This record gives sequence, C-alpha cells and structure tokens, in this order.
Amino acid sequence: MQEDKIDSNESEGAFNDFIDDKLNDIVEDVLNDGDLDVLGDRGSDIIIEIDDIVPPTFTYGGEGEGQGGGNKGPGSDEGKLRFNVSFNRFMDLIAEKLSLPNLIKEGKGKIKEISYEFKTFGPTGVILDKKRTFKRALRTSIGTGRYAPSKNKFDVDFMRRDRRFKVPERVENPKYRAVVFYMGDISYSTHGKRLETEKRMVNFIKNWLDYNYGPNNVDHRFFVHDVKAYEVLESEFYQVGNIGGTRASIVFDLIYQIAFGEYDISSTNFYAFYFGDGEVFGSDSKDIIKILEESICPVFNRVGIVEIYPSQWSKLIFDLGNNFLNDSIVRLAKYTIKTDTIPVIKKLFAPVTQKA
Amino acid sequence: MRPVKTDPVLHELEKRVIYHANEMGRILPEIRFFILDRLEFASLLEKRVYPTSPVNIWEGKRMVTKKFKIESGQESSIYYEVVQTGNPSYAYLNNTNSAMMQASVMAHVVGHCEFSELNVLKDSNQDRTEYVMHLVRRVNIGQHQMGEKNYLEFWNACESALNLIAPHSQFNLNHSIKDDSYRYQEEETPIEEEKPKDLYRPFSHTMDTILSPLSVEEEWQKEQKKKDQQEQMSRKGYRLFRPCQDILGFLRHYAPTSSAEKSILDYMYVSHSTHDFVIRTQIMNEGWAMYWEKKIMLKLFEEKAVKGIIDYAKVFSGVCSPRPFFSRNPYHLGFALWNHIEKLFKEGKVNLDYLEETDKTKKDQWKKETGQDPLECMRHLVGSITDYEFLRRFLTEELVYEFHLNRIHKRQAEMIGINKDAIIKEENQWIWIDPAPVKQEMLSFFSHFHRPRIYLIDTDFLDSGLLLYHRDDKRALRKDWIKPTLKNVNFIWKGPVSLISNDQLFSYGSNIFSEKKIEAVPFEKVMERMAKSKKPFHE
Repeated sequence: MQEDKIDSNESEGAFNDFIDDKLNDIVEDVLNDGDLDVLGDRGSDIIIEIDDIVPPTFTYGGEGEGQGGGNKGPGSDEGKLRFNVSFNRFMDLIAEKLSLPNLIKEGKGKIKEISYEFKTFGPTGVILDKKRTFKRALRTSIGTGRYAPSKNKFDVDFMRRDRRFKVPERVENPKYRAVVFYMGDISYSTHGKRLETEKRMVNFIKNWLDYNYGPNNVDHRFFVHDVKAYEVLESEFYQVGNIGGTRASIVFDLIYQIAFGEYDISSTNFYAFYFGDGEVFGSDSKDIIKILEESICPVFNRVGIVEIYPSQWSKLIFDLGNNFLNDSIVRLAKYTIKTDTIPVIKKLFAPVTQKA
Repeated sequence: MRPVKTDPVLHELEKRVIYHANEMGRILPEIRFFILDRLEFASLLEKRVYPTSPVNIWEGKRMVTKKFKIESGQESSIYYEVVQTGNPSYAYLNNTNSAMMQASVMAHVVGHCEFSELNVLKDSNQDRTEYVMHLVRRVNIGQHQMGEKNYLEFWNACESALNLIAPHSQFNLNHSIKDDSYRYQEEETPIEEEKPKDLYRPFSHTMDTILSPLSVEEEWQKEQKKKDQQEQMSRKGYRLFRPCQDILGFLRHYAPTSSAEKSILDYMYVSHSTHDFVIRTQIMNEGWAMYWEKKIMLKLFEEKAVKGIIDYAKVFSGVCSPRPFFSRNPYHLGFALWNHIEKLFKEGKVNLDYLEETDKTKKDQWKKETGQDPLECMRHLVGSITDYEFLRRFLTEELVYEFHLNRIHKRQAEMIGINKDAIIKEENQWIWIDPAPVKQEMLSFFSHFHRPRIYLIDTDFLDSGLLLYHRDDKRALRKDWIKPTLKNVNFIWKGPVSLISNDQLFSYGSNIFSEKKIEAVPFEKVMERMAKSKKPFHE
C-alpha cells in the first residue's frame, strides 16, 4: 500500500465548490430581491444558511411533503447547514455579480498601512515556538547521544541555541483615506418605507466603501436637514422630524464646509450621498446646482442624489437633470420600487465616463 | 500514515500480541498495522476504512463537519479500533493513544481478523483493500472520461441506492437471478427427494400417449413456459425468477452503463457491501474480539510487556457496559454470551441430555465431561451461525435479566413510553421490564434491520422498466423521498422505474412522476406468481 497520507482534501474541495455554487445562488437571490439586509453589521462575517443536503433513499418517515432534490446533491431534511462567509469574500461576489468596478482611489497611496504577522522564526524573540524548539532539541540530543532509546537513554537537553522564537514580519499595504457624507431629509413626508429604503441603501454603501478602502480608513458621517442642517449619529439619521417644508441646499453647503475645514483635500477621497423625497421649494435646486458645480464637484470623487419613492411634487432630479444628466461625478437616480435597489446602486457606482 | 515498524515500542508490542495469538491457536491472516494522526483517522472512517476514495461531496461534507467538531472540541478523536479485514488485513492505530491502549487495540483486531476468516458468511477475501484501491483508480479514470458534471450526477444517483445492498440476504443475486455466467458461491443446493425409479417398458408412442396424464393444453403451456424463459435469457442475458433484495448488485451487473459508470457502481458496491456482513454478525464478532482481547492482554500484563492494568480494567468495563435491548451494546452482549457459551460447553450443557432433563436439581448441578474442547466448539459456532441463531439458541430469559438487557433508565423509559404493566422491578434510577418478550424483540431486528425491505420483482415492467416492491411492515415510506429516489434509480437504469408500496404504485420515467392507487399485493402472492414464471403484478 503506497498511500503516505490519508486525507479527504479533494472531497472537501468538491464540497466547498458545491457550497460556492449555493453561495452564488444566494447572492443572486439577494440581488434580485434587492434585499441587502443579509449584510448585517459593518464588516462582520456573513452567516449563510442553506438546506442540509442528504441523498434521498427509501426510508421510513412521515407523510409530509418536502424537498427532495434530483441528481444534484439531492434531498433535504429538517436540518440546516450554516457557514460563515467573510465580509470581503461576500463583497467580492456582490461586486462580481453587479459588475461594480473598484473605486478609483486618490491621495497619498504611498502612505502604508503597517501590520505585523508571525510568519518567520528566529533564534531570538519573545514568543517561544515550543514545537520547533523541541524538535531542534531532540535532534541535538540524538546527535550528542543523550537521547538513545536503544541504550535506554531518554534525556532531551534544551540548549539556548535550539530555542526558536516566533518573529513578527512587517506587512505593508497602501493606505487611502475616505470620508462619506450621508445626507437625509427628515421632514415628515419622509417616513415609513422611505426610511427603510434609505437604511438599506446606506448600509450597502457603507459596506461597499469599507470593502474598497478598508473599514478603518473610512469616516462615515451622517447629516440631516429639514429647514436646518446638522450632523447626527447614525442611529438618529433615520428619525423623522415633524416640520413640513425643507431646504436641501443647506446640507450640501454644510458638508462642503466640513470637507474643506476638517480634511486634507489632497489626500482624502470624498463621497456624498443624498436621500430624500425630492420635494424641494423655491430656488433650492438652483442653490444645490451652484454648490455642486462650484464647490463639491472639483474635489469629490462621487456624489449620489437619490429620490426615494418620488411623489408628483418631487422635482429635485428633474431640476438637476439639465446640468448633471451624464455626469461622471454626480449621479442621479430615482427609487420607485424595491427591485430598483440594484439598478440604483449600479448607477451610483458605475465607472467614470466622459461627459456627453 | 506510517507503518508500525517505525515505532519501536509499538512494533515490539505488535510482535508480542501476534505471538500470544499464535500460541493460543488463533487462525489469522496477515495483519498490517499502521499509525495515523487524528485527522487521518477521521478521514479513514469517512472512506469506509480504505486509505483512498474517489472525490465526492458527501465525504467532503462529513469531513468538514467532523474537522470542525474535532477542532472545536465537540467531538473526541479517540477511536477504539479500526480494521479492514481480509487477507491481508489492515488495522489502524491512533497515535494519540497510550501504549497500553494500542496493545488492547491490536489484541482486539486479532479477534476481528480471525472472525472474518472463520465466519459462515465467508467475509474474508484476498487483497480486499488493494482491490478497492484499484477500483478507486478506475473511478478516477472514469471521472475524466465522464466529465465533472456527469460524474457527480451519477455518483449522487448511486448514493440513493446504497441501502439497497443485500449480498447475504436469502433474496440475493444468486438466489434470484439466473444468467449465463453462473455465480453460485452462495447458492444452497436443494436436497432432491428420492423418486421411485420408473420401470422400463417397451417403447410405444400410442401407449405413451394413452398413459401420459398431461393434457394437450398442459403440454403446450409447459413448452411455452420453457420457450419464454429461454427467450428472456437470450434477449437480456438474465432472468429474474425470485424477488431480489440486492438491487444495487443487480444494477451493477445488468444496468446498461458505460465502463466509467460501471466503475462507480463497482466501487460503491464493493466498498459498502461489507456493511451487510457487519449487521448480521456484529454481536458475535465484537464479542469474539473482546474475548480474545482480554485473554491476550492478560498475557501481556503477566509478562509485563505493558503497564496499567487498572486503567485497562476501567476502559474494558466502559466498553463492555450493559445497555437496554433496543440499543444493545454488541461488545457487552457478545462478550458476555461467549463467556456463557464457553461455560456451557465446559459443563457439557450443550447437548440433548441436558435439554431433556426435567429434574431441576439435576440440571442445576449438571457437570459432565464430554471430551470436547470448548474453544473448538466455539470456533465451530463462528463458522456455522450468525447473530440471529446465536441469540435464538443461547439467549435465555435468565440471561436477558443477568445482562441487564431489560433494565432501562427511568428518564429513557418515560421518553419511549414504557407501559407500566410491563415493569417488574423499580430501583432509584432504573426500571426492569418483563424479560420474556425481549428476546423476540431482539430477534425481529434481523428480519428488517430497521430498514424498509425493498425487492426487485420485475425487470420488464412498463416498457423494460424495473418494478420494485416494498414489503409491507405496517410502516410507511418517507413520501417526499420516493420521487427523488426513483429518479436516481431511473438515472442508473436508464429506463422507467416503479415502486409498489402497500396500495400505491409510484412510477418515474421520461422525467414524469406518477402515483396511483392499486390493490395491495401480498409478498407471498408475488413469490407465488414469480415461481410460476408469471408477471408478479399487472396494472
């Protein structure tokens, strides 16, 4: 018999491929339904649950109707298979499915993010590698004859030179910094499913930017407006006020002030996303266009303006359309039904194109 | 994986174990011991105790789960003994066990190997492990020929037929199918009754016709039947004349498969068919192994080849702890029964005189030299009976009580709903039930092994389709699995497949599944019709 090592690596690999296919199906479903809640908390692993697979056989059992598969990994019983999928792996799949490009990162990419990993072993250090040390000591003891079972000698000497320590290795990754401004309309007309949709969109954008820049390199900041504009915590972003009329331009002005006042323009990537019902009054649209063209567009990587469930009085996108219809920085989108989630996301993050 | 020779201590122990086994007159094949680490051990078990296996998602799934459990401490990786019998036999030792445990495993393996050599079902065969490794290579070649998708589809279809293997059933291939290749290893030669010899008389066509009792109609039917059988044989190459329970065996031989598909069926069948031997002989087999393990270990302790007799005693009593009859512990029951049988032979109690003795005092004090070697008699039992007969002949009501087979933990009794009238004794944590029905209950296991009994009864049903029959045992099949299972069998057979279960006929063919009500057909009727070369079932 010539087998040196007994293992099931190939079969485990085949099972992993099978789970990968299932995962792809799940991502497909998630995207088709526009249900991005599966993403969970920021940067955390995604827990995927699928029906357990069991080959169907003639066996005793109840009369209940269930799912018995065909030839491809068929059968399912009451059990479930649960897997942890890393956040990055899941986002890779989403990016692949949505054909989303990696965001163009600007700024001081030469600055490195430094971490340490224990990959090598040396004769000096702090963390002793017991297994390696013992192996070396044993080899030395055999060489010196201290350990010789045939002569009934079983001593193992631990000499200084046999010690091996885990040595951290410096790992450098380019570091880019980004800040994202989320702007929301909290007037009383923005309530119910509008808020739910906003929450879902914001969640995806957060995850997408974290995935691209690394979770520690992105500032997520939340701003709301009714007749005034101010910064809030994320939890307060989804609370509705009770004031009727709104002015959106003031929140654009505010984020511009903050971007210039608090960040280094040359090394930071700026993103801004506005969500609202699109019901603006008076010269609000004109003011927004002015701020966008003169102040925001020259320094921001991307600005997204989304009308959530627009009404007959919504006119923000209409007003902005003349100036930013095919703009490479400012993206305009309308969200009217749940299945719009993915088209809207695609529109917001589609690659930069030349102005028409 | 490394041979035991690489470990001087274990190699020495191996030599001592084999020496004592030979001294005790054991009949052994060549035994090769290997040392494995814990993950190798887990993987070996998933490969049905063969060192290699073809790629399949099921093994992958089980192994991923097992690895996770071992690594997260939910499952112990210590396995008592793992051996693939045959000649040579391959036995595997877990490198995490102590020397004493390794010695006990080796001694235990000796018992299994001898049992495999001697048993009535002729389990042992030449180069079994090597043959399976050869089949694995053939499957791997076949996988390239079939392509990944077709390979997985066919493999998964075969998984559905794995519990349709019954090489030792009275309805196995040799007892159910005739073909031109004659495989009669297990066929019992019927004892022919002696017929009075016909007297010679002068030839006369007229006289013969007058004296012959056969009518023209009967004569015609007889000829027609013979012709049908011959035609069927020449058309298909086989003829089903009795229900066949070894359905995967049938598919392996007669399904229209490519050579790659055939290699998968061969691997599946050969690597899984030993399970049938195990369930039919588990009590005798494990008992035999424990019996010889103890004897050899005592010798090793005596000569101080190993230390730790107290630890061994603890492990031994743990392995041989009693459990109730419905979850019987084969190690305990087998070991206790073999010891009891040895005593019976020593005291000359296995004979007609003892059985026919009516005086209880005489019976109690019975001790007669018979001149027979008890061990030789026990060896004869190994070579002539299986668990069913073992229990039927030797398990008595007294022994049921003595072996605690009728003792159930109160919590468990509550869960399974034991009738209060059946309780004969109550202790702190235990209840004792009437031992009388226990034996019958244990024997009934051997008629169905807690599995539905499915037979192939027609190979020409609905346009060359297979007709399967579920022998009614008052329990329904899991209904939502009937369709996918039939679909999978259909995938292997490449023709329609139907199943009769009680008063329903399920069919799968041309991607269409149908289900209809029929009049239930008793198994005896099926047998009778098949014996008369008639169709067992008409729609």
